[in-house]
Amino acid sequence: MTTSSILTPPASIPAPARRGDAGGARLTFGRILDAEWTKIRTVRSTVWTLASLFVVSVGLTALICLAAAGDLGEAGNDEPVGAFVTWGLMFGQIAALVLGILVATSEYASGMIRTTLAAAPRRWSVLAAKATVVTGLLLVLGTLTAFASFLAGNYFLDREGIGLSLGDGDVLRAMFGGGLYVAVLGVFGLALGSLMRHTAGAVTVGITLIFVVGNLVNLVPGAFGEWLTKLMPGNAGSAIANVESFNPDLLEPWTGFAVFAGETALLLAIAGWLFSKRDA
Amino acid sequence: MGRSVAAMITAERLTKRYGDKTAVDAIDFTVRPGAVTGFLGPNGAGKSTTMRMVMGLDHPSGGGVTVNGRAYRDLPAPLHEVGALLEAKAIHGGRSAYNHLLWLAKTNGIPRRRVDEVIGLVGLEAVAHKRSGGFSLGMGQRLGIAAALLGDPGVLLFDEPVNGLDPEGIRWIRNLIRSLAAEGRTVFVSSHLMSEMALTADHLLVIGRGQIIADTDMADFIARNSAAYVRVRSPQSGVLAEALRDRGWRIGRDDDGALKVEGATPEQIGDVAGSRNLYLHELSVVNASLEEAFMRLTADSVEYHARTDQPVPAGV
Ligand SMILES: Nc1ncnc2c1ncn2[C@@H]1O[C@H](COP(=O)(O)OP(=O)(O)OP(=O)(O)O)[C@@H](O)[C@H]1O
Ligand SMILES: [Mg+2]
Repeated sequence: MTTSSILTPPASIPAPARRGDAGGARLTFGRILDAEWTKIRTVRSTVWTLASLFVVSVGLTALICLAAAGDLGEAGNDEPVGAFVTWGLMFGQIAALVLGILVATSEYASGMIRTTLAAAPRRWSVLAAKATVVTGLLLVLGTLTAFASFLAGNYFLDREGIGLSLGDGDVLRAMFGGGLYVAVLGVFGLALGSLMRHTAGAVTVGITLIFVVGNLVNLVPGAFGEWLTKLMPGNAGSAIANVESFNPDLLEPWTGFAVFAGETALLLAIAGWLFSKRDA
Repeated sequence: MGRSVAAMITAERLTKRYGDKTAVDAIDFTVRPGAVTGFLGPNGAGKSTTMRMVMGLDHPSGGGVTVNGRAYRDLPAPLHEVGALLEAKAIHGGRSAYNHLLWLAKTNGIPRRRVDEVIGLVGLEAVAHKRSGGFSLGMGQRLGIAAALLGDPGVLLFDEPVNGLDPEGIRWIRNLIRSLAAEGRTVFVSSHLMSEMALTADHLLVIGRGQIIADTDMADFIARNSAAYVRVRSPQSGVLAEALRDRGWRIGRDDDGALKVEGATPEQIGDVAGSRNLYLHELSVVNASLEEAFMRLTADSVEYHARTDQPVPAGV
């Protein structure tokens, strides 16, 4: 920048032409949504998390299928072949969780939340706009990722003659289910981030909840443990993203997804309630 | 609407408690258009807390505050009515200045060309598309001001806008603030420096320990508090004091016994002494500083006293 422009105080502040007609310039949900969309597409972390989701999911799926195709093709194999074609999403999903978390916590880390709320003091609308943007973005990218994973993984299965068909109802359901699952997972992260206001904390809690606790509750004995396992968010939600599951005890795909969506909606409602009550 | 009579900030019994600490204690004040109102107070007095409540960011524990007659959250298009530069650097470092202003503009339906306009206004054209994380303090401050001006609001809040800036930056902001008020806007500026306020503000609101301890015209405050006196030392100070008192001037004593004469010029005092053949050893004008006046005013309400008067224990 030029020195002269820094040092010269503006003689007066030019006003935009339509100053005064506040009618055309009201705060609306559409505008808050447009602003949130602008925010998410103008930071690198979005590109990085979405790229990780895609690359990790597709890459790991291709690798495991390459490695396992031979064994799966042998007579007497009782492994669920359908569980392999979206296998990488198990790890790629972390990126979706992180993306959702960052949408909330990055504003607290920088203090930008105050700029946001000064421009748009309707806090429920702000949170709803963030949730909409996260959902839309991950729905599209999650579905694309699922299709790409399937195509990559199935290529190796096909070579052994055990490939699946995209026309298969369960396969198609898992493709769009991949999009649905990561979209809701992203919103889950958003709610968690909004509650905790701290990136590292929210990522730790999120990953622990989805991965560690989700598997540990298996150890709780009896019917109680069984149900706990079924109802844990990651367990309930991920079934819809898999053609078949390694774990036969999980809820049915759509039932599980409904449970996961319900849990996320509850968490988001608590986050929204606290968001509107707390000081920014 | 716009910058009409209604463009004001009005607080009534505004209170904020954090646990059992009262940061802002039932304060009443009005910030009026067409003037710079300085919000002066020592560290921890409650300035930032008050400003956050004006902006609807912190919820009052009691009382309330309105902008243009409404609670902040009820403003139909907030950026068109209020612009603020708050203390914290409220910008995501990974985003460019342009994109930061762009998303902000979109919330309130402000056209893109206004973004370019404010970037030009604060002189950030050359770096508008660079990551704002690499900005210097002064550049960050300019970006914050561009954001505040985006909706061409009638009410502006600046929380310690000159903190950490170099003299050129300070001068730039001072001029900007003055010109905004000259255009008829309501300008509310906080600072903990009296000297800064004396140069910028027309009206003064002094806060200490969460309470308003002065609400006054700047000119009045200066007139009342910057009264100069003449310091006079003389070996015949008793006689001299008598002679000066006869002329109707107020005479006081400095700690070292020198006379403090109020209401007279050094020339007049010299003439009196000369006419009576009295010797003078010192004759000097002393200006009481506004900073001292401010410190006297807030002496009882300073949050954290530096304990310079404490003897250092031996052997520590
Ligand atoms: N979020 C908070 N939680 C607890 N106490 C707080 C919080 N924010 C402010 N305080 C306390 O409230 C009081 C007023 O703080 P505030 O930041 O408003 O002062 P200030 O006048 O802006 O001071 P400074 O000149 O240092 O910026 C201080 O004692 C501060 O410690
Ligand atoms: Mg402060």
